[in-house]
Amino acid sequence: MEQPPELVAEAPRAWDRPVVTVPVLAALSYVGGQLPSFSLPANLYTLGTGGALIWLGLSHRMPRRRGPARLGPGTLWWLLPVLAFGLLEGVTFVLDAGDEFPTFSRIADPLIEDELMRSLAYFGWLSAFWALVRR
Amino acid sequence: MSLRLLAIGGFALALVLFGVVEWAARREDRRGERSRIPTLGDVCAYLMRYEVGPVPVGRIGLLGFWWWLGWHFFAR
Repeated sequence: MEQPPELVAEAPRAWDRPVVTVPVLAALSYVGGQLPSFSLPANLYTLGTGGALIWLGLSHRMPRRRGPARLGPGTLWWLLPVLAFGLLEGVTFVLDAGDEFPTFSRIADPLIEDELMRSLAYFGWLSAFWALVRR
Repeated sequence: MSLRLLAIGGFALALVLFGVVEWAARREDRRGERSRIPTLGDVCAYLMRYEVGPVPVGRIGLLGFWWWLGWHFFAR
């Protein structure tokens, strides 16, 4: 009988270890951090790295950690930060008051103009993306 | 207090709340039992299990959102 792909146990791959993936993600982040916003290379690079991860995440090429079959009532605690962030982002976006009452993007943009900060933020984005692909 | 400081403080508080809830989800009680709060990773994994027929809607939605977020901050 054929098994759903996600139920089939796969042997761990030699390259699928932090000692390999962390330097790769760091190198990709370093390159991404050098590319200025609104430039064609930045667009292509972000779309390329994200597209590759999306492809990995939607195919069954990567072994996945099984998630929980159901969530308990403790999950509701997550509504606290999500609603706090979402409501504030929504209000600042709708009011469109610029730097007077800025959205999260407006606050973050000057911080990630610096190449080091931009590379660190890129590393956070790619690492979380990689973690999502593995779920 | 200016509205700008209010926005910065509000976003900072929301980010701290994310950290606090994640910390609470990872801690064990005195008997060594896991927290009843799932980690953010578990919540994401659960959302990604949602499918409509053969289409992994939850997976496409969450991965797509994360892709857009990176493009929003690093490319535009």
